[in-house]
Amino acid sequence: MQLYRFEFAAMASRHELKLWAEHEPQVQEAAAAAIADVHRIERKYSRYRDDSVTSSINRAAGVAAVEIDAETRALLDYASACHALSQGAFDITSGVLRRAWDFRRDPPMLPDARTIEELLALIDWTAVVCESTRVYLPRAGMELDFGGIGKEYAADRAARICTDAGIVHGLVNLGGDVRVIGPQPDGTPWQIGIRHPRAEAVIASIPVREGALATSGDYQRFFEIDGARYCHVIDARTGWPVSAWQSVSVIAPLCTMAGSCATIAMLRARNAEAFLQEQGVDYLAIDREGVVHGTLARVPTEFKAST
Amino acid sequence: MAATERDARTTTALLTAALALPGVLAVPASAQSVPETGVIALRYLDYRDWQPGAERMRVKTPSLFVLKPLSDTTVVEGSLVYDSISGASPLNHDTLSGASGIGITEYRTAGDVKVTRYFGRYAIGVGGAVSSERDYLSRAGSVDLRWFSEDRNRTLAFGVGGASDRINSVNGVATDRARQTLDFLVGVTQVLSAEDIVQSNVTYSTGHGYYSDPYKLLDTRPDERRVLAWLSRFNHHFARWDSTVKLSYRFLHDSFGDDAHTVDVAWVQPLPRGFVVTPSLRYTTQDKADFYFDPPFPRGFTRGGLYTADTRLSAFGAVTAGLKISLDLAQGWTVDLAAHVYRQESSWRLGGGGSPGLEPFSARWIELGIAKAI
Repeated sequence: MQLYRFEFAAMASRHELKLWAEHEPQVQEAAAAAIADVHRIERKYSRYRDDSVTSSINRAAGVAAVEIDAETRALLDYASACHALSQGAFDITSGVLRRAWDFRRDPPMLPDARTIEELLALIDWTAVVCESTRVYLPRAGMELDFGGIGKEYAADRAARICTDAGIVHGLVNLGGDVRVIGPQPDGTPWQIGIRHPRAEAVIASIPVREGALATSGDYQRFFEIDGARYCHVIDARTGWPVSAWQSVSVIAPLCTMAGSCATIAMLRARNAEAFLQEQGVDYLAIDREGVVHGTLARVPTEFKAST
Repeated sequence: MAATERDARTTTALLTAALALPGVLAVPASAQSVPETGVIALRYLDYRDWQPGAERMRVKTPSLFVLKPLSDTTVVEGSLVYDSISGASPLNHDTLSGASGIGITEYRTAGDVKVTRYFGRYAIGVGGAVSSERDYLSRAGSVDLRWFSEDRNRTLAFGVGGASDRINSVNGVATDRARQTLDFLVGVTQVLSAEDIVQSNVTYSTGHGYYSDPYKLLDTRPDERRVLAWLSRFNHHFARWDSTVKLSYRFLHDSFGDDAHTVDVAWVQPLPRGFVVTPSLRYTTQDKADFYFDPPFPRGFTRGGLYTADTRLSAFGAVTAGLKISLDLAQGWTVDLAAHVYRQESSWRLGGGGSPGLEPFSARWIELGIAKAI
């Protein structure tokens, strides 16, 4: 048995597969199939591609309903559940806010209230008409954005493809969202490091034997003005970024669930820990002061070298 | 990161490095008078290491070196280095979870300056160095004295240096920890004949403070370290081919227990049209540190006891093979290109007894350099 690593780029991120296998042809096939599926999902749901499902739905906003397949339907159902769990803070129609929040602009600029208000009028998941095979965005200018769930969904699918190809020990890491296929061949867990939200380093080390670990943070896209940070995790109800947490990492059976829990926790701000406890997941949350909270916080603390 | 990723023995051996430069530039190591011309050199190093199934670290280092005679009796030299270090999981993890991807990049800036003054049969040098990273700051200073025999065939060298380091690990494990080191060097260089030169240096380094790796779980190292190193070199020039063979042996005794022996051989062969090609080979065999424990982690750990699982402190043998090609161009320009490969395996330890359960570790680095006499 040998460990193989495959690194690739997709969805504007770098990803890696770490797979144990007996035979090279087997692992090459599994990796190729998994990577191909990630690219497929990217092509299908990327809002940057004119030929994507997302773009065809968005183009028809305020005009007509668009036919969708079972996969898209399932993702929309899932987005609906996230919307409810987050009390509306997580909303896949909130992608339009990127018109107000430009994280690449230099010097950075806060949007004015008027722009936000106009965009808020286009953000309303409850107004989206979802039928079994069709979806309709009722107002022109409304958009769907699968960015908040696409990557984690792809991670779960990639893991499944590897399992189907006979891979028993391995993990998938898509841009920082990890799904374990199975523990290491000797049964020991994978040691997954959680990035420090403010430094190029690791803040915690989590042993994971199965399941997924996903992280949502305020450091992926952001700008700072007068010492205050404005990040890309935006509350769809207010149109403004959240700031209660620097980063939240969640362990759950599926990456899709772990990722949504992490993002929704960020959005739930003060109620994040209550929400995560309700979901029954282990988590590590770092608040705006840099203090570490959560059930996973006990692991590194217990093992800290004596000083 | 450098608090741990760097071999402490190379940073505290500031003196050894300063006094024992193996002729990287046109200026010989034990220069006995102010050089006629200065040098400005630019180098670029690309380093990558990996283990089976895993790419680990990538380091890119541009650096600048300048040496300039200020007068007939004084010369100044200095260098600036800027490392950028990246890797998928550089801190002993299988993978990383984060909002912004799977990698980490760190930066290090370092600079040093040395002034040497020649007084006939003596030379005194004073130098200082600083190395800075997000989590690690090192400041060092040194003084060295050289004495030259009347026929200039023998040089005696004495040196003292000190370094003060401050560590603030980003994960909060090491907060404002410090480490101080004092180094001493005694050495002799003797020209034996027109073709032979031999050099022998003994360095003793004693330090106390924080030596643990704050990014490795449970890592607890002693708060004192003493290192004795004895380096001997011999160069022989073959007049017939105009080539030089360079041999060296270094014995290192470390209070941590990871004693090591290193043997080096290089062959400098000038070729027509100003080319010089230098193949080289090095073998190191190392003991494990007294507090190193074999995998699986964390077997062997006892609360309050010393512990490390750092494979750099395991018992292993390692081979480095290199090839360097340099070209002298007109008007004082030199360019060179060097490539090295390194492989470390437990089973390569001399006499056996290498640490079990470890994968081989490999690295390669490529360097490009341009220099001009000024």
